[in-house]
Amino acid sequence: MRDKVIDIQNLVKTYQISEEVSVHALRGISLTIARGEFVAIMGASGSGKSTLMNILGFLDTHTSGKYILDGVDGIALDENQKAEIRNRKIGFVFQGFNLLSRTSALENVELPMMYRGDAEPREMKRKARELLAMVGLAGREHHHPNRLSGGEQQRVAIARSLINDPAIILADEPTGNLDTKNSDEVMKIFTRLNKETGITIILVTHEPDVANYTDRKVVFRDGQIMEDAPIAKAAPRPGRKRP
Amino acid sequence: MNFQNLMRTAIRSLGRNKMRSALTSLGVIIGVASVIMMVGIGNSARVAVREKIFTYGSNAMGVESKKRTFTMSDVEAMKRAIPSIKFISPMVGKTQVTAKYQGAILYSRIRGVNNDFFKIKEWPLKYGRYFTEQEILSREKIVVLGNTLLDELFGSINPVGKVMLINNIPFQVIGCLAESGQAFSGKDQDNLIVMPYTTAMVKISGRNVFNEIFISTFNEQMVEKTEASVRSFIREDRGLAPGTPDDFNITTSKEQLQMAEYISQTLAMLLAGIASISLIVGGIGIMNIMLVSVSERTREIGIRMAIGAKKSDILLQFLIEAVSLSSSGGTVGIIIGLGVYYAITVGVGWDFLFSTFSVVVAFLFSCAVGVFFGYYPARKASNLKPIDALRYE
Ligand SMILES: Nc1ncnc2c1ncn2[C@@H]1O[C@H](COP(=O)(O)OP(=O)(O)OP(=O)(O)O)[C@@H](O)[C@H]1O
Ligand SMILES: [Mg+2]
Repeated sequence: MRDKVIDIQNLVKTYQISEEVSVHALRGISLTIARGEFVAIMGASGSGKSTLMNILGFLDTHTSGKYILDGVDGIALDENQKAEIRNRKIGFVFQGFNLLSRTSALENVELPMMYRGDAEPREMKRKARELLAMVGLAGREHHHPNRLSGGEQQRVAIARSLINDPAIILADEPTGNLDTKNSDEVMKIFTRLNKETGITIILVTHEPDVANYTDRKVVFRDGQIMEDAPIAKAAPRPGRKRP
Repeated sequence: MNFQNLMRTAIRSLGRNKMRSALTSLGVIIGVASVIMMVGIGNSARVAVREKIFTYGSNAMGVESKKRTFTMSDVEAMKRAIPSIKFISPMVGKTQVTAKYQGAILYSRIRGVNNDFFKIKEWPLKYGRYFTEQEILSREKIVVLGNTLLDELFGSINPVGKVMLINNIPFQVIGCLAESGQAFSGKDQDNLIVMPYTTAMVKISGRNVFNEIFISTFNEQMVEKTEASVRSFIREDRGLAPGTPDDFNITTSKEQLQMAEYISQTLAMLLAGIASISLIVGGIGIMNIMLVSVSERTREIGIRMAIGAKKSDILLQFLIEAVSLSSSGGTVGIIIGLGVYYAITVGVGWDFLFSTFSVVVAFLFSCAVGVFFGYYPARKASNLKPIDALRYE
């Protein structure tokens, strides 16, 4: 059996809006994800997908329950240690790209390595260039985000998420702002990464087409898991070429 | 993140808002410039005053007795009794005399003295000569003029040999003193007419006594001892009982020097104090803009935190921005302050005194302003929760 990258038991997240009003975003979720899995999280709007992703990514803390990432229990960590985990173990890809404006593609990619602190500048440059080439952006290193299309910006964000060799990639609706063509492009990159490097990828999507690139589908409803099933690869839909 | 990268990040984000950064620094620029200027002017003024007092003679002193008078035999007895006296001159003074020459008129003051006076004052001639002993004895109606009279009455042309009227009495000009400038009190030292004390007694004051004596010693170290000797000599001469106060005054340059130093130092400190208030105002300007900047860039902070920036990274980033603003403002302020100070010294004719110490202190202080006023906004930025910062619209 493959080892667990993510181990969640009875995870609860409650937002206390006021003394009387509270929102139960996650109502006791249990989920394990093994190393190398490619998972899609689906579900209606407001069902708690982003809430889960933020907790998985150490951006937010849960109310109760247990969450262990790659053998580390986040509950005992201080802010600095969490920052370090975000830096080294997790690569984020957001719906809104979240690149630093007026900063070149190359520097955006380098940024997590800079925060790691032990980076050797030449090695950092080399690796950032290599990653940009891998996502098909060779020659665009010095372009700023405002001169890149949405799809290109998202590919820069993917390169950025990879520079510190994280254990998992967390992508919250990475194709949400993209058209079908760019969305396919991004999903092909994810698929290739998953297959070639064995990196664990968890992504949130509303689109079944996007989910079809993954191997496992977890469906949320009202803060609970409704369905958790492998995706049938046997029957690719006509007209779509699988990578 | 290492310091070099933090520095680059800070400079770049300041560069994005060049106008705003410049205006933010303006407060510190003005503050530092005025501090540098004020301290410089204070120092120059002190040096100028010092020089002025030394032209009076650093080993000179004046004895003044308003109620009781001195006679020439007092002066001679004093000179005989106190060997550390090098030069001694009586001073028969009168103020508000009219000096006329060919229709031009000037109010001036008379100093009736002997030739020692010029040596005590270390006062060189511009034209002509001093008195001769014979001329003093025979009460010649001759005068040596201060430079102001030369300018006002003679149109700066050599007046030697000319005859002028002083209180409507004709006097012959035999010499003219070099310019000495204004005293620290603002009194024009060059507006004076010097004549033999014998002549002044007969023609001007009408009595053979006087109220002032000028004395100089052989060197500066003797001044204090001589002052004491002169004091006990006069007290004894006048039969003042021990414990009674002096009925005369002795003024040395040293006292004047100390007084002047005290005044100019206090003035310089006061000016620098006022100037540093503008530095604080500049610091508040930086704090204000940094707070705006933090809330504008909340999302950027969120992104940085999401990819692994620690609290300390964010804190340092914003602190470095604040310090860059204040220290570059400080640097520009130092340059402007020195420039204005230089222009003023050239205009007034003082010495320009470059003080590395005050430049270094001003620079460090401007850095400190950045740290002090930048800390709160930077702290605020670093205390943001990653998820809140990232969600911020
Ligand atoms: N900061 C917050 N404060 C209060 N309630 C919140 C907060 N964030 C999320 N919620 C609530 O928690 C629930 C789950 O939100 P979440 O963002 O996880 O949904 P989602 O599944 O990602 O939806 P979508 O598909 O629209 O992105 C929603 O009811 C939402 O209103
Ligand atoms: Mg969401």
